[in-house]
Amino acid sequence: MIDSETQELDREIETLREDCLRPTRHWSAVTIIWVIFLMLVAAWGFGVYIYQLRNGLGVTAMRNYVSWGLYISTFVFFIGISHSGTLVSAILRITKQEWRRPITRSAELLTFVSLCFGGIMPIIDLGRPDRILNLVMFGRIQSPLIWDIICILTYFTGSTVFLFLPMIPDLALCRDRLTDTKSLFGKFKKWLYTTMAMGWHGSAQQWHTLEKCMKVMTIIIIPIAVSVHTVVSYIFAMTLRAGWDSTVFGPYFVAGALYSGSAGVILGMAAFRKFYHLEKYITPRHFNLMGQIVLALTLIYAYLNLNEYWIPAYKMASTEGALLGDLFWGPYSRVFWTLQFGTVLLPIVVMATPIGRRILPLSITCIVIVIGAWIKRYIIVVPTLLHPFMPIQEVPADWATYFPNWVEWSVTMACLAGIFLVITLFAKMFPMMAVWEVAEGMELNHDKKIAYAQRKKREEALLETEKVVIG
Amino acid sequence: MKTNIKYSMKKYNISLTLLFLLLWGFSWAQETTKAVEKRESAVQLSFYKKADQTKTARVKVTAKNEHNKYMPVANAHVNVYALNNKAEELIGSGVTPVDGQVVIDLPKTLPLDADLKFTLIAKLENDLAFEDAKDQGSFREANLTVIVNPADTTRTVTVKATQTDKDGKEKPIANATINFYVQRFFGTMPAAEDKSATTDETGTGTFTLPRDIKGDTAGNIVIVAKIEDNDTYGNIDSKVAAPMGIQLAVDKNPFPRALWEPRAPAPLVITISIIFTCIWCIYFTLFYTIIKMSRDKNPPTPTGKPPYGLAYEEWVKE
Repeated sequence: MIDSETQELDREIETLREDCLRPTRHWSAVTIIWVIFLMLVAAWGFGVYIYQLRNGLGVTAMRNYVSWGLYISTFVFFIGISHSGTLVSAILRITKQEWRRPITRSAELLTFVSLCFGGIMPIIDLGRPDRILNLVMFGRIQSPLIWDIICILTYFTGSTVFLFLPMIPDLALCRDRLTDTKSLFGKFKKWLYTTMAMGWHGSAQQWHTLEKCMKVMTIIIIPIAVSVHTVVSYIFAMTLRAGWDSTVFGPYFVAGALYSGSAGVILGMAAFRKFYHLEKYITPRHFNLMGQIVLALTLIYAYLNLNEYWIPAYKMASTEGALLGDLFWGPYSRVFWTLQFGTVLLPIVVMATPIGRRILPLSITCIVIVIGAWIKRYIIVVPTLLHPFMPIQEVPADWATYFPNWVEWSVTMACLAGIFLVITLFAKMFPMMAVWEVAEGMELNHDKKIAYAQRKKREEALLETEKVVIG
Repeated sequence: MKTNIKYSMKKYNISLTLLFLLLWGFSWAQETTKAVEKRESAVQLSFYKKADQTKTARVKVTAKNEHNKYMPVANAHVNVYALNNKAEELIGSGVTPVDGQVVIDLPKTLPLDADLKFTLIAKLENDLAFEDAKDQGSFREANLTVIVNPADTTRTVTVKATQTDKDGKEKPIANATINFYVQRFFGTMPAAEDKSATTDETGTGTFTLPRDIKGDTAGNIVIVAKIEDNDTYGNIDSKVAAPMGIQLAVDKNPFPRALWEPRAPAPLVITISIIFTCIWCIYFTLFYTIIKMSRDKNPPTPTGKPPYGLAYEEWVKE
């Protein structure tokens, strides 16, 4: 019985390996069209960025008052999304949640990619990006901007290592099972897998080292991730501006990042499950459990949201009062209340029910959450800049209002396309699930089954003996 | 077959030409419409005579925006004329910056009429984007003289307003409102809540300077007297420096404990350095370990991944 079960397990693991490697072996027409589309959007955005560089930031809708517009809102949003990998992967790893195994890779990838593009958004926002080195060479350590650069660089390095480490055995698998070695692309893949697998051949020492490194990374990446978004919030909170001068901004940003990031992970799970036929491994149970996590995070976020607005609303102090007036019943009221009810309270109601945590409704809810989180960053950045302490007067009309123009939309959409492009290319080159981790989960289940069968057998034998003795 | 291709090519060429003509015509029509659609504009002229006797005309140009509101406009070309025996004489011109206000220097002497007044005309004319607009004003030249006595304990500031008569003599201006200010870095600050004085028939006005005005390190302040937006004289000012302010005590440490002080606080530098040095040391240790791992030549485990931790040590012994 044990032998047959072991054979069955081997077959299952083999199927798993092939299921994960299949997407890396051929490109469908749909994928090619999708990649071309993304490249076109990215190329258009790049062209527009060159136009912005040549003509200065005056070609955007940003002016003297609103000097942080869509670009910085998107930067905060992308950094928020990057929290997903840490939450799902590191926290679930550290708490030894077995169900994490099929979803960690996509979560870690989302972190890596959103950090790459989040990191370049402030550079895009600079009129003279060639001066970025000045910030490093002449930066002041007491400036939150320097803290931000240090934290994001540290988090990016950590996230890259955290994504790479569990990939090593899978890269070796790709290297060993690569079928096409004749074509130029095949040769490139062979070189890439061989280099990245770092001589992995699965010796006991290598397994031991890998586990040790992963354990260390799992522990240190959580505080680093929390520090990154806290420091991003400091860029705002360390100023005396109405709406930003808040002590709750650190945890508020971290909670907002976790809430939107984990919703992003669910969307990634749903997409990879559907397009790479991973239904067998990423099951409705995973969505249910992730839904519960997002629900808990949404409740925390709603609580902090209440604190962020309720306390200043109770006082309605001069400039802060004018800002809140604009948000509550002024020009931003429609967006503000839609965000509060539509992307915070409604998702809580939906995800509180088991039906709401099914794949389709949960995915729709997560789309709403992610879009809402993006608009929320915009609502944090722009209205405050339009409410300085010195009233805006006697200036050209376009200085006193802001809405991103075609230049900003083009560049931002190109960055979004860049994220999708990197994820798509990654998925066509590497397995989108940690194959060895899922296989390890299967082995553990198998061991449990065998242990249970053996215990049952022993109990039965004991019962038999007792019967004989009593008899 | 060949004829067919030739025919279709010809048809294609005709269609392209028609399309090109249509697009060109459309763009031309758009441009023409654009040129015709000039914005309704307004010009506002003010005359200034400074303490150093320089004369300037300040012209503010506003135009109606899409919400039908007059807003300041940039890049409007403005000409200023002086009326000389009913003839307009161009004396200066300028282009408005973003705030819509351009300051144009005037010559020292301006043509006067029978009432000893000079007439200035500001015009926005022949502009492609704005409708023609003008504003004009007639002003009479006046002078202000500020007299202070730092030793005077009553801190009285006296100002004398005069205008030049036909015979070239200075005659007092009675009933003129004069405002008193103190010069500050970015502009002038009202010297008191009630900053005005009215001249008597001798053209003299007095003002009591408050005691709490901060000066420089020697207690010097610059007192500015102004006639503002006067229908007859425009804007005239005069200034005088006097040690009538409070001496400024320079703070040796103006930004204690602040994050924006020139030097970073040591505890902050130490904390950040320790945290990030530790993290990066861990990273480098990991990189080293991974590189070491890649050089491992031990044979692969026959049964897949071994257990971890203490179980691993036992497993190795086995």
